[in-house]
Amino acid sequence: MNLSTKKWIFLKISSIIIIPLMFWFIINLVSIYDKSYFEVLKFFVNPMNKFLFSLFIIFTYFFSALSISEVFEDYISDEKIKNVANRLLLISAIIIPLLTIIFLFKLNL
Amino acid sequence: MDNKNPLSPHIQIYKWHISSLVSISHRITGIINIVAITLICIWVSLLVFGEANYDLINFLLNSKLGKFIVLSLAWSFSFQILSEIRHLIMDMGYAFELQTTRVTGLIVIFGSFILTILIFFIGKNYI
Repeated sequence: MNLSTKKWIFLKISSIIIIPLMFWFIINLVSIYDKSYFEVLKFFVNPMNKFLFSLFIIFTYFFSALSISEVFEDYISDEKIKNVANRLLLISAIIIPLLTIIFLFKLNL
Repeated sequence: MDNKNPLSPHIQIYKWHISSLVSISHRITGIINIVAITLICIWVSLLVFGEANYDLINFLLNSKLGKFIVLSLAWSFSFQILSEIRHLIMDMGYAFELQTTRVTGLIVIFGSFILTILIFFIGKNYI
């Protein structure tokens, strides 16, 4: 199996996982975004919400990194620029969810 | 070594079809969503700093602009969800006929608005 096939399979698996998580998150975002600090905090402190939100951001960034790298493949011809762009994408797809999860698990009422 | 892979042709040379509209919108909403999710990650992380630092965020989210942004994000998520389901169906080898791609494209476009309304009603406990 070549790299492109593996990427495609990972892309499809992650998309199947994020569809229900996107549904779950956007409904909850609509329900809490305009609430007070404590109500928002209460939502993110809940262990089930913590777990689902962590899954949501991990898979979303993973999916985005794979799909945005496809866009780079389609529109960037310079190999050096494409490699730098892909590396930056990969680093941000690891660092942003990791930092958020660290902060998320520091939250308490 | 030079990369001999062809680049994707520029979108302006093609006549617009429902499928091309859905495809480019899928990419645009994907970028919007990941930028928005990054802002949401910052929003969640800022909760650590306590209530005193939350006033400005609360003011922004309760303003008309804040409500508009969340509503737009609900549409952008709805579009991605439906478009991704369309992609998965096509990946399984179905719905490739020209007429079917038009119909599924229209379902994604109009369905995203209906889904946005539904998400808002469910989120606000109206249903």
